[in-house]
Amino acid sequence: MTARAKAHAEPILTARGIVNRFGKQVVHDRLSLEIMRGEIIGIAGGSGSGKSVLLKTLVGLHLPSAGEVLLNGKAVQSISAAEKAALIGVLFQQGALFSSLSVAQNIMLPMREHTTLAAVQQEQVAAMKLALAGLPADSGIKFPAALSGGMVKRAAFARALALDPKILFLDEPTSDLDPIAASGIDALIRQLNESLGITVVIVTHDLTTLFTVCGRIAVLVDRKVTVDTADKLLQSDHPWIHEFFHGPRAEGAMKARKKSHGN
Amino acid sequence: MISVPAARRSTSPVSPGPAATVSGDGDQLALQGALEIATITAAGKVLTKWSKQGHPRSLDIAGLDSLDTPGALFLCGLRDKGVKLTGVKAGHAVLLELIGGLDLKPLPKVEAVARWRQIVIQIGKGAHDARHEALDIITFLGRAASWTVNSLLHPACLRPAAISRHIAETGIHALPIIGLMAVMIAIVIGYQGVAQLRPYGGEDFTINLVAVSVLREMGVLITAIMVAGRSGSAFTAEIGVMKTREEVDALQVMGIEPMQVLVVPRVIALVITLPLLTFFADIMGLIGGAAISQFLLDVSPMQYLNRLPQVVDGSDLFVGLFKAPIFAFFIAVTGCMHGLRVSGSAESVGRETTRAVVKSIFLVLVLDAFFSILFERLGV
Repeated sequence: MTARAKAHAEPILTARGIVNRFGKQVVHDRLSLEIMRGEIIGIAGGSGSGKSVLLKTLVGLHLPSAGEVLLNGKAVQSISAAEKAALIGVLFQQGALFSSLSVAQNIMLPMREHTTLAAVQQEQVAAMKLALAGLPADSGIKFPAALSGGMVKRAAFARALALDPKILFLDEPTSDLDPIAASGIDALIRQLNESLGITVVIVTHDLTTLFTVCGRIAVLVDRKVTVDTADKLLQSDHPWIHEFFHGPRAEGAMKARKKSHGN
Repeated sequence: MISVPAARRSTSPVSPGPAATVSGDGDQLALQGALEIATITAAGKVLTKWSKQGHPRSLDIAGLDSLDTPGALFLCGLRDKGVKLTGVKAGHAVLLELIGGLDLKPLPKVEAVARWRQIVIQIGKGAHDARHEALDIITFLGRAASWTVNSLLHPACLRPAAISRHIAETGIHALPIIGLMAVMIAIVIGYQGVAQLRPYGGEDFTINLVAVSVLREMGVLITAIMVAGRSGSAFTAEIGVMKTREEVDALQVMGIEPMQVLVVPRVIALVITLPLLTFFADIMGLIGGAAISQFLLDVSPMQYLNRLPQVVDGSDLFVGLFKAPIFAFFIAVTGCMHGLRVSGSAESVGRETTRAVVKSIFLVLVLDAFFSILFERLGV
């Protein structure tokens, strides 16, 4: 069952009329976006097109100059901290693992803060999240400084999943990774979406991720967002979108897409 | 029927969703509601107790509305203990299969080291580090001195723009705070002097006390400590951040010696600045002394000015100013050395900055003690 087929028609996150302005520079101009329950959506765009600002706006870290973000029907700014922690998980680009805590302690931190699980149970759950993210149990006692790039991403994945969030936001999950590690992360995203039904929002430049993992792609161009499936976007006649999906780098990704769809 | 409310803490409640409810009795129980991270604690207790009773049992989970991964982990644990799960919904089966299929091992425990061994290890490490530290400082001092002299001999290598920027940052911007501190320290010494000398009728000597101690010791010491905290730390942080962003490596690849462009301008700038700042602190300290004399001794500023040449001479001023460039050299070199020792992470910038400040203040005080003895022997 693919992510697309499972996606429900009901939106879990709605952004309406988002305007983000920094001084005179307008990054987003009345941008609207709907993210459906259970889908995997990619957010793509050129460097400086405001992908990261959009992500921060969606998770409520950045207050937009105008517009509103509704998460599960509630304004994101009005959701309580604990509720938000249970609702969203974020994988930051550099992992943002707390360097003074071991990997397992990193995963247990939100549990300790927001649940009543006993320490033993927390450890069991942390070990399970590590296994879900594809890390061996003995990496739990390691400190973030001792991990490789791919392992940092996986550990950050495990921490983002700590409270079983309904939406997972991934900021450049495959950047800085070798192709093998990147493919592993792609597979992990698909697996988590299919088995846990988590809605996944991926901010990325990685065309392979966009083509093989995402059901829909939101392209940030001209301070607005164009959302469609990869197939439709490939036929778009907008010059930037055309260049993005037909450039020399897109070809390898297309092959990967055909391969994954052939399966 | 046992009802389990959604787990919540007074400070941070997780969304109070539907509870997990266990119903039925004997060997067959049914679970309804939501078995999630927020509800699992209490429901888990009941079911764990029940599952330990030994006979073959079964748990009906057809009434379960929602299940998350900790819930699935718990159910898998029950299943491993011989509890039969019945009425599993298709969606839940996928999750159970996923969690049950994981290769789960308990987190390894960190090996605990006995307290006495920790102490021994600490001492050993400390001694080892101290030795390396001392060698590092000596080596770096030598290199910095050699590069500085080399640059002075070949003035074309000097970077006037960098030097003047550092003079502005370490000197001009520090004037207000150093002036204020010098006045304050003169007031402190003045009050103590009057209080201690009055019983002997010698409170007039407070003027001597303030003027001599400010010129010989306090002016330069206060300035050096302030500059170590202000500029030494800034040197470490600036160079450290360059180190973490590989800017220092980039310099080396371009065939530019980091000592030449990063260390030498800072050392020269501080060696120029600190004596000037010290002189400024001396003047401000004497002004503070004048204020104290007016308020506590009824000596007018004009009288104070007349008395000054009688109580201090050029050697007092010289002793203070002579120490300033030497302190400056050590502060700048320590700051730069720790900046270049930063490795990788941002937290190491903070750690090295702390070390640089502690070490440069320590060095300043050690050198000052050394000079006190030296000048006493020389009779200056």
